[in-house]
Amino acid sequence: MTDEEMMRAVCNGDQSAYKAIVTKHLKPISHYAYRMLGSSRETEDIAQETFLRLWINATKWQPEKSSLTTWLHRITHNLCIDHLRKHSHVQTQESFSEEEAEPNRQQSFAQEGDRGAAEKLQRAFRELPENQRSALMLCHYQGFSNKEAAAIMAISVTALESAIARAKRALRERLVLDGIDATTLLEELH
Amino acid sequence: MKLTMTDFTEIVDRYGAASESWPASVRAACQQLLSEDALARELLQQQRRLDMLLDAVPVPEFPGLESRIQNQPLPPCSRSLVDTVLEWLFPSNAPGKQFWRPAMAACLPLVVGIVVGNFFSFGISNESPGFDYWDDELYMLSLNDYTENLF
Repeated sequence: MTDEEMMRAVCNGDQSAYKAIVTKHLKPISHYAYRMLGSSRETEDIAQETFLRLWINATKWQPEKSSLTTWLHRITHNLCIDHLRKHSHVQTQESFSEEEAEPNRQQSFAQEGDRGAAEKLQRAFRELPENQRSALMLCHYQGFSNKEAAAIMAISVTALESAIARAKRALRERLVLDGIDATTLLEELH
Repeated sequence: MKLTMTDFTEIVDRYGAASESWPASVRAACQQLLSEDALARELLQQQRRLDMLLDAVPVPEFPGLESRIQNQPLPPCSRSLVDTVLEWLFPSNAPGKQFWRPAMAACLPLVVGIVVGNFFSFGISNESPGFDYWDDELYMLSLNDYTENLF
């Protein structure tokens, strides 16, 4: 059954089609939410809410405009952003500037004591402004093209590419400048 | 086309370390720079290491989440009247097969007009002043050349 057929069934109140969609799409959705929020509990809440919204708004999905996975990621993205803003974890694009980011970059991993390398990397990742983190995750982990990721984030492709570039530069600089050995990190992560 | 390190850094940052994802228009120039510049090769190596690190960051399992979402209470599907009518007219599960429905809907105003016109005169009377009979009216509407008949 294709996504379109399953969604038609969902529009007609078919719960088995809804369950099939959950099985098919839960993994990328939960991974995206986790990478955005960094918390298992919040990830589960967001994933649950995402699929509830799919059920409620099934008739609003327009297959000719976006694939189901793009639509679901957009719902998840918006829920994550709302959640982050509500809980003030977020540094928005508007408030972010290179000058503001400088102290973050200069903060050394070495100052973070004996934290594990994986945790250090995740921390560096979470310290990225929300739009850079989303852009990097959608393209690197979720496998979306720049155009699809831009549509999910409701920004232009140029803005998305710029956000990815800034995110990668920030992470790379942090790893290099703080003398983090990539080989050690990789060994620890595996 | 000659690329600078700044251009190359921007390309690698935007499109990643895999050369196949770089824009085709600059791919050859990037390869050229890589063959000539050790700094460019080092930058690419750093980017590859970063990609590997990103790939290696683990995501935990969420045991029971799938069944919890599948079994969460779902509100009844409430569709608006407009959605219901549109779905009946243009059923999404059998596009083209129920073509008679929109055709029937398109004929509906005509049918209603005939029925209403048959029952109500709306003030139009056969014996209104000016015309003695409907025959006269039809005769006048027939665009005949009256001069022939008069002379």
